[in-house]
Amino acid sequence: MKTAVFWGCCILTSQYAYEMSLRQVLPKFDIDLVDLRESTCCGDPIKSVNDFTANYLAARALSLANLTGLEDLLVPCNRCHFTISEAKKTIQDNVDIRQKIVGLLKEEGLEYNSNIKIWHTIDLLHDYVGLEKIRKAVTKPLKGLKVASHIGCQIIRYSDLGRVDDAENPKKLDELICALGAEVVDYSEKLDCCGAALTRSHPDSALSLAGSKLKAIQNLPANGLVVSCPDCQLMFDAKQRDAGTTVGAKLNVPVVYYTQLLGLALGIEEKKLGLDLNQSPVDQLLNKISV
Amino acid sequence: MARVGVYVCHCGLNIAGVVDVEKVAEYAKTLPGVVVTKHYTYMCSEPGQRMIQDDIKAKKLDRIVIATCSPRMHEETFRRAVAEAGLNPYLTEIVNLREQVSWAHIHEPGKATEKAKALVRMGVARARLLEPLEKHRVSVEKSVLVVGGGIAGIQASLDLANAGFPVYLVEKAPSIGGRMAQLDKTFPTLDCSACILTPKMVEVTKHPNITMLTNAEVTDVKGFVGNYEASILKKPRYVDEKRCVGCELCTKVCPVKVPDKFNENLAETRAISIYSAHAAPKIATINPDHCLRLKHDKGVCGKCQEACEAKAINFEQQPETIQVKVGGVVLAVGSEVFNALEMAELGYGRFKNVVSNIEFERISDASGPTGGKILSPKDGKTPRTIAFIQCVGSRDKRFHEYCCRVGCMVTLKQAILAREKVHENVRIYVCYIDMRAFGKGYDEFYRRARDMDIDFVAGLPSEIHATSDGSLYFDVYDKGTNKLLQIHADLVVLGTGLVPNKNLADVSALFHASRSADGFLLEAHPKLKPLESAMAGVFLAGACQGPKDIPDTVAQASGAAAKAMDLLSQGEIELEPLKAIVDEDLCSGCKICAPICPFLAIEMKTDIVDGKERPRAEVIEAVCQGCGLCSSTCPTGAIKIQQYSNKQVMTQVEAALAETCAEGGK
Amino acid sequence: MSLIDLMSMAKPNIETRDKILARLSGKELVNCFQCIKCTSGCTALKLLELKPHEIIKLVNLGFVDELPSSDIIWTCVTCLKCVQRCPQKASPYHVIIALRNLAVEKEAKVPEGYLKAVSQILETGQVETYQKIVTRKMETVDRECLKLPKINPPKQSFQAVFMKAMEEKKA
Repeated sequence: MKTAVFWGCCILTSQYAYEMSLRQVLPKFDIDLVDLRESTCCGDPIKSVNDFTANYLAARALSLANLTGLEDLLVPCNRCHFTISEAKKTIQDNVDIRQKIVGLLKEEGLEYNSNIKIWHTIDLLHDYVGLEKIRKAVTKPLKGLKVASHIGCQIIRYSDLGRVDDAENPKKLDELICALGAEVVDYSEKLDCCGAALTRSHPDSALSLAGSKLKAIQNLPANGLVVSCPDCQLMFDAKQRDAGTTVGAKLNVPVVYYTQLLGLALGIEEKKLGLDLNQSPVDQLLNKISV
Repeated sequence: MARVGVYVCHCGLNIAGVVDVEKVAEYAKTLPGVVVTKHYTYMCSEPGQRMIQDDIKAKKLDRIVIATCSPRMHEETFRRAVAEAGLNPYLTEIVNLREQVSWAHIHEPGKATEKAKALVRMGVARARLLEPLEKHRVSVEKSVLVVGGGIAGIQASLDLANAGFPVYLVEKAPSIGGRMAQLDKTFPTLDCSACILTPKMVEVTKHPNITMLTNAEVTDVKGFVGNYEASILKKPRYVDEKRCVGCELCTKVCPVKVPDKFNENLAETRAISIYSAHAAPKIATINPDHCLRLKHDKGVCGKCQEACEAKAINFEQQPETIQVKVGGVVLAVGSEVFNALEMAELGYGRFKNVVSNIEFERISDASGPTGGKILSPKDGKTPRTIAFIQCVGSRDKRFHEYCCRVGCMVTLKQAILAREKVHENVRIYVCYIDMRAFGKGYDEFYRRARDMDIDFVAGLPSEIHATSDGSLYFDVYDKGTNKLLQIHADLVVLGTGLVPNKNLADVSALFHASRSADGFLLEAHPKLKPLESAMAGVFLAGACQGPKDIPDTVAQASGAAAKAMDLLSQGEIELEPLKAIVDEDLCSGCKICAPICPFLAIEMKTDIVDGKERPRAEVIEAVCQGCGLCSSTCPTGAIKIQQYSNKQVMTQVEAALAETCAEGGK
Repeated sequence: MSLIDLMSMAKPNIETRDKILARLSGKELVNCFQCIKCTSGCTALKLLELKPHEIIKLVNLGFVDELPSSDIIWTCVTCLKCVQRCPQKASPYHVIIALRNLAVEKEAKVPEGYLKAVSQILETGQVETYQKIVTRKMETVDRECLKLPKINPPKQSFQAVFMKAMEEKKA
């Protein structure tokens, strides 16, 4: 299958590991990624400033996808996925907004296509590829690995919009992890937010939220944390030390993208999966696998 | 030439506040055939009716048009008044100036008045074509089918039986008693539920006028009001009802453990067992989904048969279908409890110590799985903190928008029972949005709870968690103190609401009793006819019509019984003549109409004409509801609805489109 | 004058309140019956004292003059738990976004980070700048050396259209 891909800002500018691992693993399942002609923000931070402009930016992402002629768009970032999904619905329900946005896009010669299916990494792998195929493709099962999962907020809420997984009992990421031969550990803070959205106004509080969750995960019998959103990864991985400081804890939690774990199970080289770029102590986790 | 009298009602200010009733009456004078027009404040009152009757006699009127409220309100009233004056009551036409004019166009009095005039013009045109009709009488069966053996069904059955009406009481569980039998105590008196219920249950089993059919379901219903034929399927118990003495030896020897439905699956029973502690009838029943002998070949198990001294076990017992003829039906099928698995954030199903209110009731009941001791399901220990959380599944656009009506009182009762049983060694918290204690003695009961050191937190938690050792906790913001509290509880009781039965759609279809938007059975009028469905002869009692507590259930059940008696006591009833009628000369026997009728009111008969078979349609008058589907479908125009012939309808349409009295014009 | 807050002497501003209501896709905000579930589960409550139920009530009663200038509306983490669980679909998150938009229009206090995002989008189309990352092996890498494809900035035409969108007059 061929799908267009909207990376968003975070992945393109610093979370390279997510892009690297996705580009490595998807071809193994015959999925070709087609990049968009150009990249503009999905509109998420603009929502708080001007809701209409945010919807316009999201619609622009969809119209750029339309240029590829494809009707599938992979959006690997949770926040972009939510913003674009909500914009799609708003445009569908509100004739006035739709007309204005279509008009604005026309000025750039862009056309809005309401038929584009929006995917996230998780439902693309879980629902489209399927657990069976993934299990079969695994050459290096991650036996003995126990991890906690963090699916994030904006791809499970709010249900009325139609999200990637169930809001109260999300299982897809866990099932994807188990398909690799690893075990998933449950914990009560599972559905807690990483705090990323607070960074623009209250950076310390944002770190505190991430820190509290990491502290709880540290106490689990788990070898690490698995995420699938670049914003969450930024909070838990890149900012782990600072997060630890705000909650007065020394944090030592390996944090990886699901696609990195998937890549390992498929026998792909660590370097190619960007595992060098993870700032958290992932070597602990990697050692668990090779043992 | 018809002599029409037109009477315009003010309906107080309901009509007159918007419509210029005087102008409408004046206008009516100009219509062809109209001999007298009057307007009055309350046409339905005694002087109003007298006015019409006097005019009929004095002015020799032969058609009456009354422009008033909806015919559903007073059409009967006016027909009776007209009949008393010696005129055929079906020569009366009601024009609706309230629901269709003044209430609908409250902000446009000018246009409303014009519309009123147009409607009166249509009414007069139609009235001139009305034909005199007679009500027919049919005889009725003086017996009643009561579906559902909970307290509603039990009460209705006893009232009917005591009044001399034979009753068939059908209950799908192996015992009657329903939800009330599962309760420990009842609010606000804290009466022991079994103590007040079982005497009634025994009365039912012994009553000479009640045929109690348990482990049975109604599978088919044919007929019409006063003359229903119901098929009742008696599912096999595999136990001879006449021999079983209820000793329970069979249960003791049965090797198969089965979740105990009566105890809300908190305990186990056996594949052969007596349904509940105070079961009536006290007869064992075998569960065919679990019994080894019934699931596999002969020769397997059969321990119960060996042990039974009364030789009552019969693995070959067959289902039996009974046909009964009854005059009316009382639906008393009850309701279910909201399945809290749907609200996953509260941890029901995930955490053993999160229970529903009906599960707590079984825990509290002396005949329940813990012998009446309040114990947490996870470890069987006495909880030190119990938290009650209200409105689970109710008042919620995600699940059920209605208030379940009983949730607050149930929780107050359970909190009080918990305090009484565990004494001062337990903290009890109730998290709520509102405390609805509306009934007699109910707010006093709420005060009683506050007197017993039960803490009320004004706010609901968003989610429930468990620590690594399994103890429960949740955050809740309290409006009263403006504090974010964290409550650690050993037992959390969810105030799950009452919801319509999963199979209520089937019951609804079987008895043609429609449902309201909330899923419960729909009453004929929310204010004035709460005891009957829109289907003649089908009455409603108890929670199946809407969630309610025991006092309201008993009241409604007795009321429904009285309504049934009202219908059947004369031995015959009158039928409205506004039904379909077939003109045999026009009927071509094409058979298109019969399958179209949603009430199965058309039969195809065959005549022999000149030696040849000639099919023709015939309407079963008593079943026909006058909906008109057949009339519009008939290709030859052979079927018409009395008072709604093509001519009568088209005349109204033409009158509607005739020149109106535009502003300033005539 | 029908209503006054004696602590602050503030009066309801029904006009502004109705403006906010008109911008929300549904009117369910008025259905809130203060069950407090949103606040009980609010991610930002413990750290930053955000009480969604209070914000909803203030808007419902019309006390909307102070809100856009307050810090509290910027504390929402957008975890969407309140939208998910509200039994009346009053969606405090969407109300807070509408209040934030109002704050920008009124030129009240808006956290730097958001205004910066606007100017960055104007400049480059994105809200982040390309970074060099130091790996755990102490190597410094960027997109190029990681052999990741070059992604183009938006065409020239984008700037003007973006500004037009920003100027879109709100009702």
